Amino acid sequence: MRSVPASPHLDVRNVMWLLAAMVFVVAPHLLRMPYWIAVFFLAIVAWRGWVAWAAMHFPGRFVTTTLTIAAAIATFFTYNRIVGREAGVALLVVMSALKLLEMKTQREVTLSIYLGFFLVLTNFLFSQTIPLGIYMLVCVWIFIGTMVGFNRIGSSPTLIERMRPAGALLAQALPLMVAFFILFPRAAGPLWALPTDTRSATSGLSDSMAPGNISNLIKSDAIAFRVQFAGDRPAYSTLYWRGPVLTQFDGVTWSLSPDKSLGYPSTYARALKPTSYTVTLEPHNKTWLFALDVPALVPPDSLLLHDLQLRTPDQRPVRDRKRYEMTSYLDYRYGASTPRGPLREALRFDETRNPRTIALGRRWARESGNTREVLQKAFQYFNREFTYTLEPPPLDSRDPYDSFLFETKQGFCEHYAGSFALAMRAAEIPARIVTGYQGGEINPLNNELVVRQADAHAWVEIWLPDQGWLRVDPTAAVSPLRIESGVNAALGPIGVLPRLIAADPLGVLAGIRDAWRAMNSQWDAWVVGYSMDRQRQLFSELGFPGIDWRALGLWLMVATFAVGAAISIGLLVRDRPRRDEPSLAAWNRFCAKLAAAGVAPRAPHEGPLDFLRRVESSRSELAAAAHDITQRYVQARYGAGATREELRELARRVREFRPA
Amino acid sequence: MFADLRQSISDWIFRAAVPETPPVTLVQRRIFILPTRQGYTFGFTTLILLVASINYALSLGFILTFLLMSMAGVAMLHTWRNLAHLKLRPGRCDPVFAGETAHFGVTVETPSLTRFAIAVRRKDEEPVYADVVQSEIAAIALPVAASRRGVMSCGRLEIFTRYPVGLFHAWSYVDFNLQVIVYPRPDTAAGTPPAQSRSASEEGIPVAGDEEFHMLRPYRPGDAPKLIAWKALAREQGLLSKEFSAMASSELWIDYEEARSSNLEQRLSMLCHWVLTADRFGQSYGLRLPAAAIPPSRGDAHRTRCLEALALFQGSGAGP
Repeated sequence: MRSVPASPHLDVRNVMWLLAAMVFVVAPHLLRMPYWIAVFFLAIVAWRGWVAWAAMHFPGRFVTTTLTIAAAIATFFTYNRIVGREAGVALLVVMSALKLLEMKTQREVTLSIYLGFFLVLTNFLFSQTIPLGIYMLVCVWIFIGTMVGFNRIGSSPTLIERMRPAGALLAQALPLMVAFFILFPRAAGPLWALPTDTRSATSGLSDSMAPGNISNLIKSDAIAFRVQFAGDRPAYSTLYWRGPVLTQFDGVTWSLSPDKSLGYPSTYARALKPTSYTVTLEPHNKTWLFALDVPALVPPDSLLLHDLQLRTPDQRPVRDRKRYEMTSYLDYRYGASTPRGPLREALRFDETRNPRTIALGRRWARESGNTREVLQKAFQYFNREFTYTLEPPPLDSRDPYDSFLFETKQGFCEHYAGSFALAMRAAEIPARIVTGYQGGEINPLNNELVVRQADAHAWVEIWLPDQGWLRVDPTAAVSPLRIESGVNAALGPIGVLPRLIAADPLGVLAGIRDAWRAMNSQWDAWVVGYSMDRQRQLFSELGFPGIDWRALGLWLMVATFAVGAAISIGLLVRDRPRRDEPSLAAWNRFCAKLAAAGVAPRAPHEGPLDFLRRVESSRSELAAAAHDITQRYVQARYGAGATREELRELARRVREFRPA
Repeated sequence: MFADLRQSISDWIFRAAVPETPPVTLVQRRIFILPTRQGYTFGFTTLILLVASINYALSLGFILTFLLMSMAGVAMLHTWRNLAHLKLRPGRCDPVFAGETAHFGVTVETPSLTRFAIAVRRKDEEPVYADVVQSEIAAIALPVAASRRGVMSCGRLEIFTRYPVGLFHAWSYVDFNLQVIVYPRPDTAAGTPPAQSRSASEEGIPVAGDEEFHMLRPYRPGDAPKLIAWKALAREQGLLSKEFSAMASSELWIDYEEARSSNLEQRLSMLCHWVLTADRFGQSYGLRLPAAAIPPSRGDAHRTRCLEALALFQGSGAGP
């Protein structure tokens, strides 16, 4: 049996490189995982580094087994599960550290590096942004550099000697990677059911509203969706993006109506100013879609409920970025013939809670002759002494709207909408809350409207017998700026970056931000969102509609061969022997002619003059010509050199040299 | 049976004229390439990455997978290129005594860029690695334990590389018919050459150690350093060698018949030791073997000739 020698290539520097690469690739995970995992991982890696550095003994089997079991149990108790995205990745991180600890042979090094590639992939489960992509590319680069180091047997490479070959490999792999990315046929759906927490619960509107939820959302800069308008962009103050409609009310919280009957755009009494646009919705793990008030047509793969709430069929949450084309009527009238059932629901409230708000609403109703007067009174009331703020003081938990209206008088859209709707119901006007987004931000570079969580909004719809449902926005009474120009204008810039941008008079920062956002938008559309549909769209735009996987496979093969041939040629060109100098080429032709004429070939040690002497003695009839050529050659190559004409003359004489 | 078949197929595929005339340039058709076990594992890894990317619809996962796959393809070309166009020549194969380590030498040159981690190995032996730098000659010496006297043949050499990433094994075979001459192991217990071995000389028999100083004569190339008259040199009398009476007057014949042992190798070991001893003392000596005799002389070339005769000696019968 052949014994396998202790691997000599596991030198300290290579091991340190591998450990560093592992720390780099795991770092984004460690930042979002529980504290103990980061400590555990770094401690184990440091231990392994110490073993390599001080040439220590490896920990025994008992120690590693105990650590493995303890880490698995700790992971289980942290997450209460062992499968799923968070727990699975945590387990992988912990186990890869332990794998490093017991890594002794070249084979185990290889496995650790491949494990590193898996860890790169797991990062993409959490984020696929440009910065993370670049960061992970660097990690892959370091891993390949580590592989180069482990294969430089016999000598230890420098930093450049590692990173340059690795960089060359990656750079030359790029064209083929791009070809594969574009051409590889994309599947329609997952191969097997995904764990439910595959995509993190992203922030977004919830299916209920109580004072405080939306103002929390507003602090988030995350993108809710992007909109590209087909024609002109409508006025900013009309950009009400309709989301969940909340009709049920328990005194504090507004929630969705249990009535799921469908609504039809064809029943609108007035439908003018149609506006077409495309929405790219970020995954929010909820079932609703957003559309401008009010949807004119229902995009495929969605439903329109009777309260004009657009949602996915079958309660399927939006887990991937979703693109849909929409048309909305900005000038509309609908719902005049709403049946009694929904109207009754829109009047219901709990008499025992918020008694002062209810009393206020009833007083307005008593003192007014018609609905218009009630509304006027309400708007005057809100216009008087309320403040629009993101940080409202805490409210009474039993009667929050009383405490808001009569004590604190500081609030955010959900406070205004909630108390307004309650007062309307008390005044016997059917009212409901509509949540969604208002406004957005135009990127002048690509004319795209970006709607962020910070644009979340809540408003009220009331029902009038002759007009149907009407949008009423009490926030507009308090802070018209919010509706006209957005939340940043109303509240001042939120966060560090908007503050800087606001302070930059030349708009340089704003320009950079716009460029960055436009780039991100393209990235999301064409890289992250490159799906089967996108692939089809791309190829039909290129003039190949209905392309199938066979054609794609053929193209892939062509691309592979083309790229492979290009790289091979590139590699071989550098190996090509340098072309002989003209004088040497002529001399070689001269020698070949003599050899063909029967002169024994010039020996390697024989100089040109020695050779000439031999030729002169053996073939005297050639002596003159041979002497002439040799002299010219020796002068050109070893002497003063030769001009272009002299070289040409040498070549001509060799050409005319005919030994019989 | 199966092994034989595989061997003959392999010989047919990798056939080459033996021995080859140096220099051998590793042209395209001489180089073979296959994935290593690491390479197969890597392929499996990318496959899993691909399935995961499809399943989770991870675009960046696709990019990672395709980048690694393409990298492997490019690495194949680089590994092949790392070996291609190398120029091989036979290197030093110095004779050794049995029991020492022999080295089969090969030199490698590159026409262009530096080639890292070029390995050479004999069949089933550990490889020796070297980096081949442009316009330098990398000498690779394969150590082999020389256990037996005689001529040791190197056999076919495999030159291979796995650089840069170890996913592919590119290799080529070359056979220069390298040989190392293995002298017999000197038998230090054999003592000095026996006295009667000088029977061929007419005169007295000074045994090594009691020779008398005879005269100083001019230095001749090949004289042992210990014979040089350093004091005379210091007195600026020129380079002179001391001559002893035993040397001057007699010639030493190292005779096969004098080495008394039943074992042929043992006999040759004794003869070998005597040759080395005589050489060390600057003695003029001859070697008489059953089939041939080497007339007395001295110097390194003479010593080499004698040792080679011992190394190549084919004993017909095992002595008396």
